Amino acid sequence: MNSRRTKIGAAVAALAASAMLLAACSGGGAADSGETTGTLDFYTNKAAWEPDFDELNGASETSVDISLNTTGYSDADQYDAFIKQSFRTSKSPGLFTWQTGSSLTELVDEGLIAETTDIWSNAVDEGWVTEDLRETYTVDGKQYCVPMNIAYWVMYYNTKIFEEQGIEVPTTWEELDAAAETLKSAGITPYYQTSTLFTFQWFQQMVAGTDPELYEGLSTGEVEYTDPEIVDIMNMWLDQHEAGWFSDAGSTVDPAVGLKQGDYAMINFGSFFNGSLDGAGMVSGEDYDMFVIPKTNPDLERTPVAVESGPLCVAENAAQKALGLAYSEWWMSPEAQTAWSEARGDVAFNPKATVSDPMLDELGTTVASDDYLVYDRYYEATPTPILTVALEQFGAFIANPGDPLPFLEIIQAEADKYWADQE
Amino acid sequence: MASRGSQYQWSARGFIAPGVILVAVLLYLPLLWTTFLSFTEYNGLGDPDWIGFGNFAEMFEDPGFIVSLLNTLLWVVGTLLIPVGIGLALALLTWNLPGGVWLRVPFLIPYALSGIGVGLIWSFILSSNGALDQALGAFGIADTPRWLVDAPLNTVVMIIAAAWQGVGVNALLFTIGLNSIPKEPLEAARVDGATGGRLFTSILWPMLRPLTAVVVGLSIVASLKTFDIVLGMTKGGPGGASETLALTMYKETFVNSDYGLGSAIAVFLTIVTMIAAVLYLRQQLSKKHEF
Repeated sequence: MNSRRTKIGAAVAALAASAMLLAACSGGGAADSGETTGTLDFYTNKAAWEPDFDELNGASETSVDISLNTTGYSDADQYDAFIKQSFRTSKSPGLFTWQTGSSLTELVDEGLIAETTDIWSNAVDEGWVTEDLRETYTVDGKQYCVPMNIAYWVMYYNTKIFEEQGIEVPTTWEELDAAAETLKSAGITPYYQTSTLFTFQWFQQMVAGTDPELYEGLSTGEVEYTDPEIVDIMNMWLDQHEAGWFSDAGSTVDPAVGLKQGDYAMINFGSFFNGSLDGAGMVSGEDYDMFVIPKTNPDLERTPVAVESGPLCVAENAAQKALGLAYSEWWMSPEAQTAWSEARGDVAFNPKATVSDPMLDELGTTVASDDYLVYDRYYEATPTPILTVALEQFGAFIANPGDPLPFLEIIQAEADKYWADQE
Repeated sequence: MASRGSQYQWSARGFIAPGVILVAVLLYLPLLWTTFLSFTEYNGLGDPDWIGFGNFAEMFEDPGFIVSLLNTLLWVVGTLLIPVGIGLALALLTWNLPGGVWLRVPFLIPYALSGIGVGLIWSFILSSNGALDQALGAFGIADTPRWLVDAPLNTVVMIIAAAWQGVGVNALLFTIGLNSIPKEPLEAARVDGATGGRLFTSILWPMLRPLTAVVVGLSIVASLKTFDIVLGMTKGGPGGASETLALTMYKETFVNSDYGLGSAIAVFLTIVTMIAAVLYLRQQLSKKHEF
C-alpha cells in the first residue's frame, strides 16, 4: 500500500514537473481582452524613469482612464532578452519600450508587433508629429509603435569657461575649431570623450556633418567604412586627438560632474543630458547651455542634427493589445506630451506640446526649422552586430589614437559579413 | 508483495525525485538546449535555423575570439601564481603563529564581496585620474600607466584585483590542510633537523598535495569562467582587448542577439573547463603520497 502510494506520489510529482516544463516552453499568447480602460502593464529598460511614468498616471487616468503599472529594468541586455522570451509565452506585454532601426525591424519581420499606422495617420494629420519621424517608425510602408521620447544630439558647454575665455557660441565648424584651440592654449581640455559605449557620437557628427548621404550609405551598406572619405574624416579626428582636444578616455568621473568642475569645456550628448547636469548641481542657462553643432562641410545647405527616438510598442499577441493601442493613441496627443515633458524635463516630439524648460523649448523650435536636417542617431541607424564592433573599435581608437585604417577594416569585415547574410 | 528493501527503495526514489527533476529541468535541459542552439543561427525570435558547425568555424576565424582565449589563459596562469601562491605563503606564515587566525581575517573579508562589487571598487582605484593616480600624484609621480586602458596591463591589474578577493579563502583552505597534517611525521622531521624550506619541500608540500589539487582545480575552473570582475572594470574593452571567453559569450548572446554563436562559445568553454578539471584532478588525486 505504502509502495503504491509512493509510486503514485512520484508519478504525480513527475507529471507536475512535466506540466510546468511544457507550460514554460509553450508559445503563443492569450487572446486580446479588448478592454480599452484600466491598468496597463508596462515594461521598460529605463528603470530610472519609473517615477516619471508614474507621474503621468494622473493625466492619463483623467483623459483616457488608463494607468500604467510600470516594471523597470536597469540592464538593457537583460531587458531585451526578457522581452524576446516573453513573445514565447502568454505574458507578452501590452506596452513596452524598444529600439528603432534593425531591432524594431527584427520584431516586425516576425509579426510580433501591433501595427500603429492609423494612429500615425491621425497624428500626422493633426500636426502632432513630423513626416521625418514617421520614417523612423516605418517598416515596409506601415508604422509600428509610437515614439516614447525624442532627443537631439547637441553640444553642451560650461558657460563660465566660455565667458572666461571670451568664446562665443560657434556657428561654423571653423569657429568650433578656433574655440577648441583657444581652450587648449588656456590649458582647458575642449571635449569630453569615453572609450566605453558612447564612443560613436563624434564619428557620427563629422560623417553626417560632411555628407549626410555618406552617413546614410554606412547604415545601408552602400558605403564601406574603408571609403577614402571616411578615412579622411577619421584622420581629422586623429589630428584633433593629437592636438590634445579630448579628455582622458579612461576616466570614470561622471561626465556631468566633469563638465561642472571644468575637466573639459564641452560635451556632445543627447538633449536628455539636462537632467544629469541639473542633478550635478548646474543651473540650466546659467552654468551650462547647449548649441547645435555646426556642419563640418560649409557647402551643405542644411545643418544635420542627430535624433534619437525610443519607441513604445504593443505586442501583437498581448492580452492587453487594445489597451496598449488606446494608450499609444493618447500618448501622441499634445496633452500627453506636455505632461511627459513636464515629468521628464525633456524635449517633446509633438510641436503642439508645451515644453517647460526654455532651453529645450528653443532647441525643439530651432531644429524644426528648414535650416536643419534631422537624421537617425548612429546607435539606431547601424545594424546591431556592426554597431557592437564599431563601438568597440571607436573605443579602441579613442584609447590609442593612431592610423585609423586598421580599426575601420575590422568594422568593415563585420559589415561585409552582416550584409552578405542579408542577401 | 514487495519486499522491505524494495519498499525502502521506492520511498527513497520518491524523496529523490523532486531533486532529480529540478536538476534535469534547470541544468541538463538548458545544457542540451544550449548545445542544440550552438549548431543553429538564432536571434532569439522565431525558430532556430540549423547550420551545423558554422558557428564553431566562425568562432575560430574571429581574431576577437583568439584575443579572448589568450586573455582567459592569462587569467588561468595569473590566478594560479598570485591568489593561490600568496594564499599558500600566507597560510604558512601564519600557521602555528600566536594570533595567526586574526592575521588571516583581513584577507578573508573581501571574499564576502561580489565580483561586480570588487570590480567597481577597483575601477574607482585604477581608472585614469582615479584614486591610485591621485595618490601617486601626491608623491610627484604624474606619468602613470593607463591601468585599465592599455592591454595586457588591464588584464594583469584585474587579476591582481581578483587576487585581492581570493587570497583569504585560499589561505584558509591551505591552513585547514596544514592543520590536518599528522603531528608524528612533523615532529620526526624536526628531530631530524628539517626546518624552513627543507621542512616545506620534504614534508609539508607533499602532504598538502590533495588539498593543493582541489584549490588549484577550483582556481582553474573559476578563472576559465571569469566574467563579473571584467564586466565591472573594463567591460572587456577597449576594443575587446581585455575580454574573456565568458564575456565574449555574453556579448554575442545578449548584446548581438546571436544566440547560436554565443551558445557555441558556451559549449567550447564548457568542454575546455571539463577537460581541464578532469585531467588535472585525475592526475593529481591519483598520485600516491611519497615522502
